Amino acid sequence: MLIDSPALRIAALRKSFGRPAVDGLDLTVRRGELYALLGPNGAGKTTTLRMVTGLLAPDTGTVEVLGIDIARDPAGAKRGMAYLPDDPLLYGKLKPTEYLEFVAGLWGIRAEDAEPRARHLLDWLDLAPHAHELTEGFSRGMKQKLALAGALIHEPELLILDEPLTGLDAAAARQVKDLLVSHVEKGGTVILTTHILEVAERLAQRIGIIRQGRLIAEGTLAELRARTHGGSLEDVFLHLTEGQAG
Amino acid sequence: MSAAPGSTLWLLRHELRLAWHGAALNKNRTRRPGGATIAIWGVGWVALHLVAFMLMRELDRDGMDAAHLAIPLTVMVITCATFMLSSALRSAVLSLFERGDLDLLLSSPLPSRSIFAVRLLGIAAAVATPYVFLAGPFANAALLVGHPGWLGLYVMIGTCAMVMACAGMLLTLALVRVLGARRTRVVAQVVAAVAGALLFLLTQAYNLTRHGDSAGPGILALLASHRAFGTDSALWLPGHAVLGAPLPLLAAVLLAGVAFALTVHRTHGFFVHGLQQAAGTGRARTRPAGALRFRFRRNLFDTIVIKEWRLIARDPNLIAQVLLQLIYLVPMLLPVLRDGKTGPAIGAALTLLCSSLAGSLTWIVVLAEDASDLLLSAPAPRRTIQLAKLAAATMPPLLLVALPLCWLIAHAPLTGMLFAFTVCAAVLSAGLIVLWTGRPAPRSDFKTRGKENFLCSMLEMIGSLCWAGLGWLLTSLSTQGATWMAVAAAVVLALGLGVLLLAWMLRRHPV
Repeated sequence: MLIDSPALRIAALRKSFGRPAVDGLDLTVRRGELYALLGPNGAGKTTTLRMVTGLLAPDTGTVEVLGIDIARDPAGAKRGMAYLPDDPLLYGKLKPTEYLEFVAGLWGIRAEDAEPRARHLLDWLDLAPHAHELTEGFSRGMKQKLALAGALIHEPELLILDEPLTGLDAAAARQVKDLLVSHVEKGGTVILTTHILEVAERLAQRIGIIRQGRLIAEGTLAELRARTHGGSLEDVFLHLTEGQAG
Repeated sequence: MSAAPGSTLWLLRHELRLAWHGAALNKNRTRRPGGATIAIWGVGWVALHLVAFMLMRELDRDGMDAAHLAIPLTVMVITCATFMLSSALRSAVLSLFERGDLDLLLSSPLPSRSIFAVRLLGIAAAVATPYVFLAGPFANAALLVGHPGWLGLYVMIGTCAMVMACAGMLLTLALVRVLGARRTRVVAQVVAAVAGALLFLLTQAYNLTRHGDSAGPGILALLASHRAFGTDSALWLPGHAVLGAPLPLLAAVLLAGVAFALTVHRTHGFFVHGLQQAAGTGRARTRPAGALRFRFRRNLFDTIVIKEWRLIARDPNLIAQVLLQLIYLVPMLLPVLRDGKTGPAIGAALTLLCSSLAGSLTWIVVLAEDASDLLLSAPAPRRTIQLAKLAAATMPPLLLVALPLCWLIAHAPLTGMLFAFTVCAAVLSAGLIVLWTGRPAPRSDFKTRGKENFLCSMLEMIGSLCWAGLGWLLTSLSTQGATWMAVAAAVVLALGLGVLLLAWMLRRHPV
């Protein structure tokens, strides 16, 4: 892992499913920042994240995670990151404790390190009272929180979240937002996609707007506002993506 | 026929349309059946009419003795009723708790009793349809040969389906009150599957026990000699109803009507008073945070094996389906087991059963992975994950077969050792074939996996037969020493290895 390298560097990334989903995307996310990737439905956000996490092979282009090329050393690149898709990656027939044991095993975390982390995460996310129930009976919010606990158990430097607040109630959403801010304050990096623009407006240090698989704007909220002569992020977003259907 | 929107008839039409879409979804689950499918069913129905006509003409020549015909017809009615109950249970759970449209309907201005009445009619129609298709031609053929009374068969199918739909609905509601909706779904699926299998085994019991061809008539003669089972017994009224006897038919219709009215009332009360919500609450057991117990494993292999076994052990529906597959193999093995040479026969049977079990478990463990993206996004070596999954799938059949194999080795050491080899080879071969050529699918597709991936199923089956056959040939060779057996064993071994090689060449490459 190269300390001076950015958390994520994407260069000329392309992926096509008949028509281009990601079309020559260049993107750099610095270490220790919370980066929001915005775009209308079908803009290529999820496809980009799936290529970043090694779930999808790009047609062309390169992805470097924490300085490691994911095509050359996938295990090395994956070791320092966690991915949380909008549909939580859970097993309905496992209990939260068992799920965390499994995820810790996948990332090769030693039991001495994993147990206190798992205990802390379950407590912090209010899942401890439900730790011995099967997750198939959990609400959407509880599932999302458990998946988040799984993503954090190996203390990833780069946390990638696809629509992490979908379906969460106010309290759970607040917990997740606090967690993301705390992760960045501790030096971690967060990349998230969201349709809730207020979240990006309040949390993100930099925002990238993607349309038809290309980055059409990027910068801090103030920089984006300046480009479009003021207004809220919603105004900026609609101005830039105007006329694009999902 | 047009029906005013919001009327019971309109709702019934909507319900039947949903049943039609749901009953015959195509592979991609997007379209209702096309013209070709309907044409194939049509041809099948015409063919059934021809078979039915020949049978009915024979019966007509024999005099069509109603008193004696009522006995087997009653047995058939009871058998079909059990099957109907099994599918009614599945439909009731689907219709009440899985389809998710009850809240929409109950929040509309439609009378709630009509909603449940229509839902019950829909279940009864869905339950009756296959029997109308299969048994209807016999009633039509009987009409052609001059026995219109057989049209009572249609009435009996309808009334029987209604009674069983009511029973299925009431049983589902009772289970929901006791167990909650989620567990009821599992219990209903298991009960439905087991009911079907038990009847299947009962039908095979005759084959299992017979030593000649006289068992069937013998049983009938025994029944006839007992007063309670005589031809004039009231027990055979369902059979008489099928043959068109007016009073039994009237009784059946009345029974169905009363059952329908009572069930609609009961179901309506259950939902309107919110009993399903009450059943679902207060079941979660919570423990204080201090009671958290973890068992982190030392290596990835163990972690994956334990996780896979937990997922299987906690899915009774899946276990029932896997074991059912084995039950359905039993009749195929009966001729093998009956020929007196039990050593090689048991060995071959065990090889076949273990191979089938290993194939099923590999499909569940490897292809029906619930969170494949989690595994792909982890830095864990893919080879270790696959090996662990293969081990998780192949160990249970090997453990199950260990005891019978030990018995076989103790009684016939050479035979036992040979079959220990073929069982291991068959289990590994089935696991590898599924691993290499299978397509990922959700666990709910387990029952249809054979149809979804024909090539994989065929390779798996041929491989299993080869290893079972090899065991048989090698043990026979060790006792008889015929040259042709050695040649045949070599050919079968080459075929088994060839199937494995083909599967490897056709293996799917993940991302």
